[in-house]
Amino acid sequence: MSDIETYRKNAATWLESVVQTYGKAARKGLSESEDLALGRRYQNAKFEAGYAGINWPTEYGGQGLSHIEKVTFESEEMKHGFPSGYFGISLGMPVPILMQFGPDQEFAKERVLKALKGEEIWCQLFSEPAGGSDLAGLRTKAEPDGNGWKINGQKLWTSWAQYSDYGVIVVRTDPNVPKHKGLTYFWVDMKAPGVDVRPIKLAGGDSHVNEVFFDDVKISDDHRMSPVGGGFAVAMATLMIERYVATDSAGFGPHLELFIDLAKAIEINGKPAIADGRIRQQIARNYAMRSGLNAITARAMLMMKAGMTPGPEGSLNKLVSVRSRQKLSELAIDLQGSEGFAYDDHAQQKDNWTSSWINAPTGRIAGGADEMLLNTIAEKILGLPQDHRPDKGIAFNQIPA
Amino acid sequence: MSILYDDAQQSIANESRRVLEARVSKDELLPLLESTGQYHKGFWNTAKEQGWTALALPEEYDGLALGLVELGLIAHQAGRTLSGAPFLTSSFGAAKAIELYGSDAQKSKWLPGLASGETIGAVTIASGANALPQRPRTSFANDQVDGIATGVSGGLAADIAIILAQGSGGPTLIIAELAAVERQAIASFDNSRCVANLHFKATPAEILVDGQGARDAALHILALQAVITAHEQTGGAESLMETARDYAITRRAFGQVIGAFQSVKHRIAELYALVELARANCIHAASQQGAEDFIATAAAARLSATEAYDTAARDCIQIHGGIGVTWEAGLHLHMRRARSLAIEQGNSLFWEDILVDSLIGEAA
Repeated sequence: MSDIETYRKNAATWLESVVQTYGKAARKGLSESEDLALGRRYQNAKFEAGYAGINWPTEYGGQGLSHIEKVTFESEEMKHGFPSGYFGISLGMPVPILMQFGPDQEFAKERVLKALKGEEIWCQLFSEPAGGSDLAGLRTKAEPDGNGWKINGQKLWTSWAQYSDYGVIVVRTDPNVPKHKGLTYFWVDMKAPGVDVRPIKLAGGDSHVNEVFFDDVKISDDHRMSPVGGGFAVAMATLMIERYVATDSAGFGPHLELFIDLAKAIEINGKPAIADGRIRQQIARNYAMRSGLNAITARAMLMMKAGMTPGPEGSLNKLVSVRSRQKLSELAIDLQGSEGFAYDDHAQQKDNWTSSWINAPTGRIAGGADEMLLNTIAEKILGLPQDHRPDKGIAFNQIPA
Repeated sequence: MSILYDDAQQSIANESRRVLEARVSKDELLPLLESTGQYHKGFWNTAKEQGWTALALPEEYDGLALGLVELGLIAHQAGRTLSGAPFLTSSFGAAKAIELYGSDAQKSKWLPGLASGETIGAVTIASGANALPQRPRTSFANDQVDGIATGVSGGLAADIAIILAQGSGGPTLIIAELAAVERQAIASFDNSRCVANLHFKATPAEILVDGQGARDAALHILALQAVITAHEQTGGAESLMETARDYAITRRAFGQVIGAFQSVKHRIAELYALVELARANCIHAASQQGAEDFIATAAAARLSATEAYDTAARDCIQIHGGIGVTWEAGLHLHMRRARSLAIEQGNSLFWEDILVDSLIGEAA
């Protein structure tokens, strides 16, 4: 057995051993605050067992292993429905970027350790009402204030801000230069005066995202994580840091086996749905698509093991899997006919078609909308030109509203 | 588990691409469309000379003992440049049937010729629209085959055929020489495939597999061929995607290159997705030869490759506008090939059923 297979086996064994305490069944019926508390205990258990910060340096409390072990652990972890979502953003982007760009490394080490143990959570304050896909179009501003800065404005779609202790933020420090050049990157204390977090209820009923208002929030200059005007590069580095994450060819929706089970149990006009050509075609097409994504992932892992950079085709996963999941979820609801009306807003989108369906649009927008992903493929992989951008090279404050 | 190509495999891909790009051109392929029964001799001579015909056959019969992965790489390149004949796949299928199910005498008799390429093989398992019939139309009795096998790719030029015929106990996989068989050429939209109806009349034939195992054997041969064809389809789709991209970054309209319009660039990005899914499925299927889930992986490769090639043919022509529909531009060569490859080795409907049956645990 290869080292990585041994690692996988050990991880799977450990995960099995804590399923009863932290898994899907243990979470059933919990309020969100109870679930978060359980999540913190689970995160601490991971830390104690050596499964937190798997690919982070040991001097920060990590395990000093590679992203291969990290992705291996995540793909095993994904099978059980643990309450790990609260820490996904925190440990995925803001905390690693703090390790890399934090101006005060003693402070950073303290924060990293607490985040790894689930004691503190970080959020990422990037998107705004006027800048989602167009991140550099953001308007929240920081102005010099004594020796530090004063932040005013509004962030939007900030995941888990309501539970966050700290956040990383990109703000405009100079409106007189083109939009990418006037940005600066800071960290902020989410409990500071003037920070107001308001959860936003999403279509599916849950409220993991927030709008965050900044009203004269004062920070000292030692919160700055980029040169003044150099924030966009650190923002890009933040988004790149999570290149190696476990992917899910089911688009974070139900496995195809669940659809097959459904089709076996249901009849269409008195005939088994599993014998119906329309249903069979969808099963076959979805299987072919998912097996293609799985094969891409398997090859990416092999490349990483060989010390190579995985190919750009890995970027297809979210684009292809989530929109397919959306359609398959619609069909699964259709299949159930008048029994398809039922809705449980606590159901998990990994094993409930209705939950998968209602949350699918979020998946197609968050973390890069389908259209942005297509642009990225076209421009970065295929060398097609950028779209016409009327704001290019124009000072931010001269861009027509 | 999938695989990464090693250095030797990578050099097979590079070398076959270099040779084919030098020797097969659109200008030679276009006239073949207008005559029935002609194939690109240069293509087939190249396949023989380069040892591609021997590639996946056992060493003791003059083969090179490589497998689906390597032959797939060649097929991918052949798909890119448009292969000039169907024999890379049809002879391979015939040879595998003999290798896997034939007697030592049959292997000695046929495999060396198939390995050198001097013998051309065809495979006819379908009965009309039925890719894997329960009751084949051709019949086999007293060491003779009778009846008509329709739409056999390579049938006009082949020396031998592997046939699924109805024997006394059900479908039987047999082999027959075609020298004395009457062949009726099909005027096709893709004439270099040398498609023919084969009229068997008391044609001498030998059994490869009879009884229960015959249909399974036929499906296995179809799956092996389907993986090779899927590579060829993926190569064609990849080439079309690149052609579309190259055109979109040079052709100008409304003051900019058309590739700057999202309606065009997203269309090409979608082709990239289809090509990469097909490629990944192809590599995976080739690496799963002999594994328990081989049929399912072959089906997945086949389905995604057919979708990729058809869509690429459609969209590449669309992106070219008027010039794309001209005879001279030759994009219709790919459009035609996309459809002939979609039919050979069982269509998508067939493979969808095979795949779903295997997923729900039912035999074909």
